[in-house]
Amino acid sequence: MKVKVLYFARVAEITGGQDQELELTPGATAGEALAEVVRRYPALAGPGFSPLLAVNREHAEASRILTDGDEVAIFPPVSGG
Amino acid sequence: MEPICLIVKDAMDTAALTRQVAGDRDGAVATFAGTVRNHHRQRPVDHLEYHAYPEMAQAELQRLAHHLADRYEVNGMALVHRTGRLAVGEVSVFIAVAAPHRQPALACCAAAIEVIKQRLPVWKKEFFADGGEPEWVYGPDEICAGKPGAGPAQGRSTNA
Repeated sequence: MKVKVLYFARVAEITGGQDQELELTPGATAGEALAEVVRRYPALAGPGFSPLLAVNREHAEASRILTDGDEVAIFPPVSGG
Repeated sequence: MEPICLIVKDAMDTAALTRQVAGDRDGAVATFAGTVRNHHRQRPVDHLEYHAYPEMAQAELQRLAHHLADRYEVNGMALVHRTGRLAVGEVSVFIAVAAPHRQPALACCAAAIEVIKQRLPVWKKEFFADGGEPEWVYGPDEICAGKPGAGPAQGRSTNA
């Protein structure tokens, strides 16, 4: 299955910022999508740097099971306000 | 009235937003404006850049507004966050809550900014007046150094 992956803030700087399509095995979790992205961009795995996840525009845990066509976002802890 | 939930790129008209949420049934309008301050961790700040995941941020504001409307006796609400480059003194986030009475207006307004800071997918990058490299702020408590290795806060500051 394919999911769309979006990056924001420092994560976007590390990955180049462009949205990407990721091919995952059916039943893969958001955490597994993140692991695949970290494999491509090892800088995301810096000590203490723990990106957060959203699926289809809602915060999501790493255990969230993805389905084909999901929009996965990877970003640092938020700092708005 | 339907809540006003916006992610905006330009300066907001806080007076107009306040007028929009208030109605004849309201005896109180509580507002909160978050502004860009000129220092952070003893360093002089020149300006900030706010980056957002706008589609999700908009959806989060809508979810928050409905959650708050269920919990507090309020009639009108505006939740607005700005993105882009902001100079010192400019308003980055604005909340207005109209209610028949002051207690729910104030409580709802206070709850709104706390949830926004904890959940809204918006990130600020600080540009310093001392010429140093700009730094991302990680986490709502603003106590982390903006370096990739520094990471998010492990604890929650209670004296923010």
